[in-house]
Amino acid sequence: MFRKVLIANRGEIAVRIIRALREMGIISVAVYSEADRDSLHTMLADEAICIGPAPAMKSYLDMERILSAAVTTGAEAIHPGFGFLSENEKFARLCTEVGIKFIGPKSETIAKLGDKAVARATMQKAHIPVIPGTDGSVKDVNEALKLAKKVGFPVMIKAALGGGGKGMRISRSEDDFAENFMTAKAEALKGFSDDSMYIEKYIERPRHIEFQILADSYGNVIHLGERDCSIQRRHQKVLEEAPSVFLDSKLREKMGKAAVSAAKAAGYENAGTIEFLVDKNKNFYFMEMNTRIQVEHPVTEMITGMDLIKEQIRVAAGEKLSVTQKDVKIEGHSIECRINAENPDKNFAPSPGRIESMHLPGGNGVRIDTHIYEDYTVSPFYDSMLLKLIVHGKNRQEAIAKMRSALGEIVIEGVDTNIDFNYEIINNPYFIDADIDTSFIEKQFKM
Amino acid sequence: MFRNMFKKTYAKIEPESEKIDIPEGLWKKCRICKEPIFAEDVKSNFYTCPKCGGYFRVHAYRRIEMLVDDGSFIEWNKTMPISNPLDFPDYETKLEEERQKSKLNEAVVTGEATIGNVRTAIAVCDARFMMSSMGRVVGEKITAAVEKATEEKMPIIIYSCSGGARMQEGMISLMQMAKTSAALKRHHEAGQLFISVLTDPTMGGVSASFAMLGDIILAEPKALIGFAGPRVIAQTIGTKLPEGFQSAEFLLEHGFIDAIVERSEQRSVLKKILRAHTSGFKKVARKESQDENTEKVTEKRTKVKAPKTAWDSVLLSRRPDRPTAKDYIDRLFSFFLELHGDRLSGDDGAIIGGIANYYGKPVMVVAEQKGKSIKENKIRNFGMPNPSGYRKALRLIKHAQKFNMPIICIVDTPGAFCGIEAEEKGQAEAIARALFEMSDMTVPILSVVIGEGGSGGALALAVANEVWMLEHSIYSILSPEGFASILYKDAKKNKEAAEVMKITSKELLGLGVIDRVIKEELPLTVDTMDTVIEEMVSNMDDFFEKNSSKSKEEIAEDRYNRFRKF
Repeated sequence: MFRKVLIANRGEIAVRIIRALREMGIISVAVYSEADRDSLHTMLADEAICIGPAPAMKSYLDMERILSAAVTTGAEAIHPGFGFLSENEKFARLCTEVGIKFIGPKSETIAKLGDKAVARATMQKAHIPVIPGTDGSVKDVNEALKLAKKVGFPVMIKAALGGGGKGMRISRSEDDFAENFMTAKAEALKGFSDDSMYIEKYIERPRHIEFQILADSYGNVIHLGERDCSIQRRHQKVLEEAPSVFLDSKLREKMGKAAVSAAKAAGYENAGTIEFLVDKNKNFYFMEMNTRIQVEHPVTEMITGMDLIKEQIRVAAGEKLSVTQKDVKIEGHSIECRINAENPDKNFAPSPGRIESMHLPGGNGVRIDTHIYEDYTVSPFYDSMLLKLIVHGKNRQEAIAKMRSALGEIVIEGVDTNIDFNYEIINNPYFIDADIDTSFIEKQFKM
Repeated sequence: MFRNMFKKTYAKIEPESEKIDIPEGLWKKCRICKEPIFAEDVKSNFYTCPKCGGYFRVHAYRRIEMLVDDGSFIEWNKTMPISNPLDFPDYETKLEEERQKSKLNEAVVTGEATIGNVRTAIAVCDARFMMSSMGRVVGEKITAAVEKATEEKMPIIIYSCSGGARMQEGMISLMQMAKTSAALKRHHEAGQLFISVLTDPTMGGVSASFAMLGDIILAEPKALIGFAGPRVIAQTIGTKLPEGFQSAEFLLEHGFIDAIVERSEQRSVLKKILRAHTSGFKKVARKESQDENTEKVTEKRTKVKAPKTAWDSVLLSRRPDRPTAKDYIDRLFSFFLELHGDRLSGDDGAIIGGIANYYGKPVMVVAEQKGKSIKENKIRNFGMPNPSGYRKALRLIKHAQKFNMPIICIVDTPGAFCGIEAEEKGQAEAIARALFEMSDMTVPILSVVIGEGGSGGALALAVANEVWMLEHSIYSILSPEGFASILYKDAKKNKEAAEVMKITSKELLGLGVIDRVIKEELPLTVDTMDTVIEEMVSNMDDFFEKNSSKSKEEIAEDRYNRFRKF
């Protein structure tokens, strides 16, 4: 096992990792920017090194400064957290080159999965369903119709250079295909001076469901069930829960198996997440694989009783996975809300500033992962997440009740937050009925 | 707040103290800013420091790889026997050591390649080998490459970098300077192109021979370029040298190099220069006229009355918002590579010039440039050229003649600069020389007066086959103010003077001094110049068309007759 580990991150996730290291009796080394001198991770770690000025480019994204810090402090491994350098293939490679273990997959794996086309091809080869669509562009309507039939209606007709909904049409059957194709094509020509089109399977009312996997360096891969992250605002996750009530045990097993084979196909090591889109008929399609720990990992921890960060460190240190697939038992239901310093009335503009006073809820089944404290100043330089509020109940109903109570109790003064916005989501009848898809926020909140 | 309040949880075990081994070569230290940098970043950044932007020396083969079309390089004279003409003690051993160390046979690599599909000879010096000093082998390889380029009618590009002559070869080394220069003279006489690129450092016998003889001389930023080394100079004259002395920027300012080109841009610039001097540029599609935009501008345009008197035209020609030469260059050409310096003493800001792409046709543009702000006018000297400006213009005109490029002159000056230094440097001689040399150029010359055409300072760029004027520009023997003070002994009689001087485009067309008037929108600004540009383009097409069927002699003869008639 490692004697000393450096955390190349800040905020809540740095604190989360330091806590895991403390539990394991490993010396933690924090790196911090000048703006984070009084940040909790700086103070909680056993050692802390300032790596530069506030802008991330000159501190948390500066590979060479972080590696220098690791070398000078004698850290044997680096945990990258999420964001910053966590999915940077070059950083992972440089760590290896200087003889420091990168807690995450190999750099080649990061590179492979980071390239959309390569990742898609890898998954197709491993028989993981991907969103069916044309490989190249098409201009002729008859040829397009042929492809559409092959993909299966409904289909999405998309301009190759498209964006912002322009040159985009849904065709539900053969009858309306030609008309929609021609309209989209004309729009594309007008908008982008190019009428090359793509045909893709239209996923109706899609849910974003992702599977957590864990893999060691001995080829053992397990999955820890799914997380439903359909509550999104502009492709940003707002609230996550596990398990997804949309999956029955049969589908869960099928998707879990697919996730495991996907990880195996990629030669994956350490913790990772396979993201799927699931349509209303419960067909699932591979979207992408995230090669790092996720923000929402606590919901998986709550329902499996496992500590994902500690597993990451153990696996990186060359240990075998502590459990096998059949040991993984999913118990109860967990929900996470991301509480950010932002103003929902001002188009969610960040609201940095000093935390004047605060009260955080607690008690049975309530967990808070955060780096903030009273008198802490939220910096404008980094993302606005203040804390993650996680609840665990014996079923979804109880989890919702706990979350409602906790959100109603939490007080943060000094900065604007999205607490009330989360409170509205948790009380929304469609959410309570689990009648959700990725357009939930757009539809329910008209944004 | 909570600092030192948290209890530690790890067991205090003495570390096994295994020091982490960092592999050699992963990090480098920038020799300029001293910051540690990743070696691979340096490579992907064209061997410049990703932190301070400083330039590192590049190995010859790597340099060639960065410049030429993939896989097109064929090396010439890879090996050449060592010579030790002075029987210098241990020289052979030294050479052998250098070979081992640098994995090069000598300090220069020569060969041919294509750049943008244009075949060219190329020679690149490599500082790793005895600081790329020039001995017999270096001189021989360069001379052989130049001779082959001349023989096969292709351009040559030489990237120089050198400490100077190779001391161990004594006078034989000195002779290489004459030998390489003589080969380049033949290359020049054969009408072939030589592009010299100066890199850090280019000193002594190399700078004083082939490096400074380019038709076009480019340099890398901050490269040290000079004859005597800075330390030698400082010791000899016993003073401290100014900041930036002998840098590429210093040379640019003093008129000895055409342009400083960033390494990342070099391939693209070389490609364009080669095309301009050989096959011509790729055809450029003509833009359709933008009627919609013009209309919009018309609405918000400030109202200016149509000029009634000659003085009104004078005022219009001097309006500060009137487009300057650069505005025309931007609109008429899809590419413009400004070439600086007169190769004698300076780089005048009031005259700019360079190679431009006129719908696929390479042309030489020489223009008088006024500034648009006080700050810019400090450089532009309000469009009043110094002798150095006319000498630069003449250098570029001769370049165009050598490579058979039509010349377009843009005239916009209150007059040649009137000052002590201008006289000391020979203002009259510079103007006279321009008239003299331009008169028999065998490429077509077109001059367009866009604002003020002040006297001899304007004529020096207007000994052309055709001279055009914008409708409200003026072209005069002297400023109306000057004219009034000489003839009427009263500079305030400028308005009357303007009337009698016959300086408007209409009057000059009547006198046959000019050949065409280009209509203007009122007031002419960058936003309203569309119609002017359209009319210029359509007439320039005719001008080129008309001259394309003429022989070189006819072109020169036409110009002679044009001025003979006055």
